[in-house]
Amino acid sequence: MTQLILFKDIDEPGLATLEVYQRRGGYEGMRKALGMSRDQLIAELEASGLRGRGGAGFSMGKKASFIPKGTMDKYLVCNADESEPGTFKDRELMQKCPHMLIEGMIIAAYAVGANRAFIYIRGEYELQAQILERALEEARGQGYIGEDILGSGHSMTLWLHRGAGAYICGEETALLDSLEGKRGNPRLKPPFPANQGLFQGPTLINNVETLATVPHIIRMGGEEYAKLGTPGSTGTKLVSVSGNVRNPGNFEIELGTPAREIIYGLAGGPHEGREVKFWFPGGSSSPVLLPKDLDLPYDFDSMAKAGSMLGSGAIIVIDDANSVVDVALKTAKFYRHESCGKCTPCREGTNWTVRMLERIDSGEATPMDLDIMASVQEQIIGNCLCVLGDAMAMPVGSMIAKFREEFEAHIEAARERNDALTTAVAPPEALIQGAVA
Amino acid sequence: MPRPETRMVTLSIDGREVTAPENVMLVDGAKYGDVEIPVFCYEPKLGAPVGACRMCLVEIEGIPKLQTACSTPVKDGMVVHTQTARVHAAQEAIVEFLLINHPLDCPVCDKGGECPLQDISFGWGGGRSRFIEPKRHFQKPLALSPLIAIDRERCILCYRCVRFSQEIAEDYQLVLQERAAHTFVATFDGHPYVAPFSGNIIELCPVGALTSQPYRFRARPWDIEGSGSVCTLCPAQCNVNFTVRDERVLRVLARDHAEVDDGWLCDKGRFAYQAVHVDERITRPMIRDGGELRPVSWERALEHAASALGRAQARVGAIAGGETTNEEGFLLQRLVREVLLSNDVDSRAGGSLSLDLHRALGAPAAQATVSDLEFADAVLVLDCEPVDDAPILDLRIRKGVRRRRVELAVATSRPSSLDPNARLRVRFAPGCAEAFLLALEAAIGTAAGEPRREEVARLAQAAGADAGAVHALADLLTTSGDDVVVLWGERVTGGERGEYAGRALLNVAGRLGLRDRDGAGLLCVPAGTNGRGLAEAGVLPNAGPGLSEVEEAGRDAAGIAAAVAAGDLVALYLLHTDPLRDLPNRGAWEAALDRASLVVAHAAFLTEGIRAHADVVFPAESYAEKEGTVTHPDGRLQRLRPAIGHQGETRAEWQVLAELARRLGRDLGVHTGPMATDQLVAAVPFYAGITLDELGGKGLRWPAREAASAFPAPATAGPFELEPPAPAPAPNGRLRLGTFRSIWAAPEVEVSPALKFLHPRQRAELSPADAQRLKLFPGDRVTVGSDGHSVSAIVALRDGAPEGTVFLETAIPEDSASLLEGPLVEVRKA
Repeated sequence: MTQLILFKDIDEPGLATLEVYQRRGGYEGMRKALGMSRDQLIAELEASGLRGRGGAGFSMGKKASFIPKGTMDKYLVCNADESEPGTFKDRELMQKCPHMLIEGMIIAAYAVGANRAFIYIRGEYELQAQILERALEEARGQGYIGEDILGSGHSMTLWLHRGAGAYICGEETALLDSLEGKRGNPRLKPPFPANQGLFQGPTLINNVETLATVPHIIRMGGEEYAKLGTPGSTGTKLVSVSGNVRNPGNFEIELGTPAREIIYGLAGGPHEGREVKFWFPGGSSSPVLLPKDLDLPYDFDSMAKAGSMLGSGAIIVIDDANSVVDVALKTAKFYRHESCGKCTPCREGTNWTVRMLERIDSGEATPMDLDIMASVQEQIIGNCLCVLGDAMAMPVGSMIAKFREEFEAHIEAARERNDALTTAVAPPEALIQGAVA
Repeated sequence: MPRPETRMVTLSIDGREVTAPENVMLVDGAKYGDVEIPVFCYEPKLGAPVGACRMCLVEIEGIPKLQTACSTPVKDGMVVHTQTARVHAAQEAIVEFLLINHPLDCPVCDKGGECPLQDISFGWGGGRSRFIEPKRHFQKPLALSPLIAIDRERCILCYRCVRFSQEIAEDYQLVLQERAAHTFVATFDGHPYVAPFSGNIIELCPVGALTSQPYRFRARPWDIEGSGSVCTLCPAQCNVNFTVRDERVLRVLARDHAEVDDGWLCDKGRFAYQAVHVDERITRPMIRDGGELRPVSWERALEHAASALGRAQARVGAIAGGETTNEEGFLLQRLVREVLLSNDVDSRAGGSLSLDLHRALGAPAAQATVSDLEFADAVLVLDCEPVDDAPILDLRIRKGVRRRRVELAVATSRPSSLDPNARLRVRFAPGCAEAFLLALEAAIGTAAGEPRREEVARLAQAAGADAGAVHALADLLTTSGDDVVVLWGERVTGGERGEYAGRALLNVAGRLGLRDRDGAGLLCVPAGTNGRGLAEAGVLPNAGPGLSEVEEAGRDAAGIAAAVAAGDLVALYLLHTDPLRDLPNRGAWEAALDRASLVVAHAAFLTEGIRAHADVVFPAESYAEKEGTVTHPDGRLQRLRPAIGHQGETRAEWQVLAELARRLGRDLGVHTGPMATDQLVAAVPFYAGITLDELGGKGLRWPAREAASAFPAPATAGPFELEPPAPAPAPNGRLRLGTFRSIWAAPEVEVSPALKFLHPRQRAELSPADAQRLKLFPGDRVTVGSDGHSVSAIVALRDGAPEGTVFLETAIPEDSASLLEGPLVEVRKA
């Protein structure tokens, strides 16, 4: 495999401790960064071409450069609410190498002049929270977090905050509301967090993997890092492969690696006698791709060009033993459950979609319902306050578009099954009189 | 803080050029070009947009996604499309989504006919639904409170009510429970939503989810008419719109006035209209006959009153209550002074002030306006509780603090509901505003470099206040910025030392440079609705109309009580006031009313004093029937317009006063309501030229007119040399007595079926420390007594109450604190 960065020493025993981490070169990036100026740091980040690893893929350096200069209460928030179905890379990173994230946060906070930093970790990650707390204690003990860090004049606090189990709190503005102690609802943008984020202050908010990459970029130099991957998608990426594969798990790949190599090479491909039917390239909210797309390079731009997205880098493989209706229903149910209910299209559209899929599954639908369902997905996409609505509408819409015949066959089969059942128990006269519902 | 300047920008909407103020949201900007963009969640009164309903999606050139027009400020050169196929598709989609779970029960819904959801579905919807699944169901309707019914099936989850509770009223009671399609509006603890401003959510609701319990099923929009007027239940004088059906007021809605009420109403103003039509209301003249008040004809009542007043000649004292209009007050003082030849007429509860002080405090140069509260650099709330005394100002102050970061300081005896919003809270002993103000003046001097720390310490101690807090307040007021507004309660100038407290206030105002400064100044909350107007109309013992000199000053209210009790006066004329209810020192008034040989009263309800003592009762008009003007505390003359005809045999009261004068041999020359207004305007130089037409629906601030230069200048507006007052009495085991009048202490609340449950019973507000010392718990019944008098009360603990003080309510029928003399009382467990 290519040069590994984040996962280079990931299975080293005791890497979660400061001692082992430092023996492996940990906190060198921080020492180097504290000797640089803030503008230099942001220039390095921009030169690296690092794009956000949480899902949206926005340039990290550019985002950091939006934070206003000057003295005020500025915040750094790490989004560790990893909730996208199929995504579990941050968990492994935090569990096995918490100091890498902490080091990245210290550098990022220094780069934008933030004195208060938070890690917002999903409530279910109890073990990872404990590990992070221990690591934070160690870092504080070393003076890496606190007043005047290593004589640099930069001071910061860093707190770990545990969420309470809502997917929506992974949306950055909902996360900020939740962190402020409010109901976790997305905010209207603009203003963007870089201007008015946590407690109305300028806020830089990044994913765990993004921040964990920062020390490496500083150590290697931005230009060096940019040599990895493709021009539009530099560096390496952690991918979580799950679903119908023999060897599911997290893998670090260089961006641009063909998807087939990841699914068949690293994850072992589907089980004996099965074929890939379709796959989600970037978590359950990405439009599905077909086997013919397997040879595409796995990077931001190629996935977008194929009509999907790289998202959080969670590949979910569905093999031919599964019904697409089943997958669509499970996906839609998840988003219906997790919709915050603030904006109309998401709240009503996810609910309506689930109801229609349930009817399709139970044989109470007609092919016309497929048209309605497809149109409802279109009515959701682009009209919502945040992207949660789109997160259901895009994959469900893509499944209907790409597997329409299977949906129709499913409707037909379910209807026939129902007809067989009703004729078996009730005589035809009763049906005519409407005695049987 | 200067008001933001508005620059105009030009943009294109649907191909037409529209000029709109910069930075307004596109929804509002579009209106300048007669383009309507539909909205549900957007309501500028609620502050920053939330973009939740997505109804206002429009296309803006250069931005790939559709944008919410409610949250996009207009910009120069912006090109907007609201009529493209893409926009239509999105808007139809939102309407379809909103309606899938809506019950569509318009034929039985109160909102039907005046419902934004109906209108927008009709105007922007697709006209069909493809949704065939079962709709979402909730138990309905539920009582969100005794005043508001909630139908969660109709709710479209627009967030307006929740935002109102969280960000406007800041009562933090309403929240959204659950999430996604299960979301519903509820109070956070499941208890009823009872709060002073709760009714506003009914008006905010864009569907029929929140309806008024008293109005439910009483009328449909095509049965009713709207009639604009002014609420006279408190000095805030909010602009209202009466909903009238068949000569009955069925509802009160806000008639938004940015300079008065900002578009909100309190629940008293919203629901107490019921008092207009209750059986308890007096609608026929009555005469005491055989010890009982019995209805009689107008002829008999007028004749009886005229002949008895004629006999009492010159030995008559008259008191006007706060709800009296300018015209009625003006005619009353003419009747008393010109016809009955008495000088004893008053409208102030707290005792008389010198004419000079009236002129200095009321001078246009020292006057702040309501909107100044919002744009000031700092606001000092001095010895008043806005939520009780003029509720709508409470919301205005909250708005300033929340949206414009106004520095708020609260200096009162009783803890205020604004305490949590205030940068600084200072407590002083009840009735010690004078010493407090002197201490503040000295502290401001110290901040300016004069070494007066010892003086501050001494005066603060006399006021029962913390000297450090007084210094901090002086700092805040001198360093926040030049625009400081002092919102002060009339009780500052009440009592024996009121005159000196008023002067001390002027000294502080002078020190802060509040005079002759736009955006800064003093704003008084009078004890009665029209306190300011009555003073200016000449209903003061020592001032004629226009605060003019009178030849001989008469007795003030307390003096009248004493003179009647002593037999120097024999008759009382009570215009809209029951002294036992409204005035301090109930004992003195009981003696006076017992002794008076004639009591003539204009009253709407038989409150205890009227029931027991009035000899002639004329039915008083309700504010929905009245014609005339009132003057807002900031000098705005506002016009009352009759919404309904007179109930029963009620007559216009200007007419009754004029008729009495005629029967006593003098024609006042008033044959219509507007003639009374003309006379008033002619008699008050600084009102010169004002006409009812000019007042119109929005009123007019006389201090902002040219004629204001005719305001009589005071001999001096300070600084005054003032002696330090006697220190606040040491409690020595007893407690200092503070009094307050609750927002709910009004006969209208008592008789309105919907509001009855709010009518206050006496409660003794104590600090937790005192309660602990006295071994009292919340809910305990106690007896509070002084000098042989005592009242019964229920203990209520109040965090932030100063130690050593107990607060009791006045203006309630039983156990009113006006029975107690103070200043010290004993609290014992009953």
